[in-house]
Amino acid sequence: MRKLTVLYDPECGLCRRVREWLIAQPKFVELAFVPVKSEEALFRYPRLNHELTQKDVTVIGDDGGVYWGPKAWLMCLWALKKYREWSYRLSSPELLPTTRRVVSMISQNRYRLEVLGRFS
Amino acid sequence: MNIIVATYLVYLAISIGLTVWVAQTLFKNGRVFLVDAFHGNEPLADSVNHLLVVGFYLINLGYVSLALEVGYEVSTARQSIEALSWKVGLVLLVLGGMHFFNLLIFSRMRRRSAIGNAPPPVGPDQYTVTREPETCAN
Repeated sequence: MRKLTVLYDPECGLCRRVREWLIAQPKFVELAFVPVKSEEALFRYPRLNHELTQKDVTVIGDDGGVYWGPKAWLMCLWALKKYREWSYRLSSPELLPTTRRVVSMISQNRYRLEVLGRFS
Repeated sequence: MNIIVATYLVYLAISIGLTVWVAQTLFKNGRVFLVDAFHGNEPLADSVNHLLVVGFYLINLGYVSLALEVGYEVSTARQSIEALSWKVGLVLLVLGGMHFFNLLIFSRMRRRSAIGNAPPPVGPDQYTVTREPETCAN
């Protein structure tokens, strides 16, 4: 795997902030960012359920592998030099349920968190 | 030669001998780790190995030298052996600590280099058809 495409929600301040942070990090694997349901996203992934990509962050590998929600977060961490070890730690059987819960809580409340953290 | 000079000479002989032995062990067996950590780049691995061993010698011989002095009167063989065992024991502990510190450095270097080729933590949920944006010229 040499490149990961991240489908992100440009309407959400938290997502924009996370994207900026990801861009600034040193990487093992290249990350490309495409806004959800944009023309580019629809063209590049014609068979993908684009309604689902709007609910949660989606990462797609250059081999066509699709990672939703918590798995997408783990793949982003995996791409980063400083945080690859964390992707293994957080995906271990002991921590994976907690990771899933935290990630889905964050994505369901992402517009509210934006106000809290003044991310916009 | 009085007894304290004999004690010092025996102390130096044992401590330096142990330092050389541990350093040689480190030098011989650490090389494999380093060659692996530097993806088979042997000249670089040998260079780093040599530098680590030089640091190891400097710290240990420095400690051996600083810890030489016995601050009390040694006049009997019993006192001499007790002083020696205390001094040599400390040298052994310092050598052991340094040795494990070096092992930690070796394994860190190796892990750091291995992680760049490690597979993804999770498998994909599904596969989808992808089209490259360059091909959408029409």
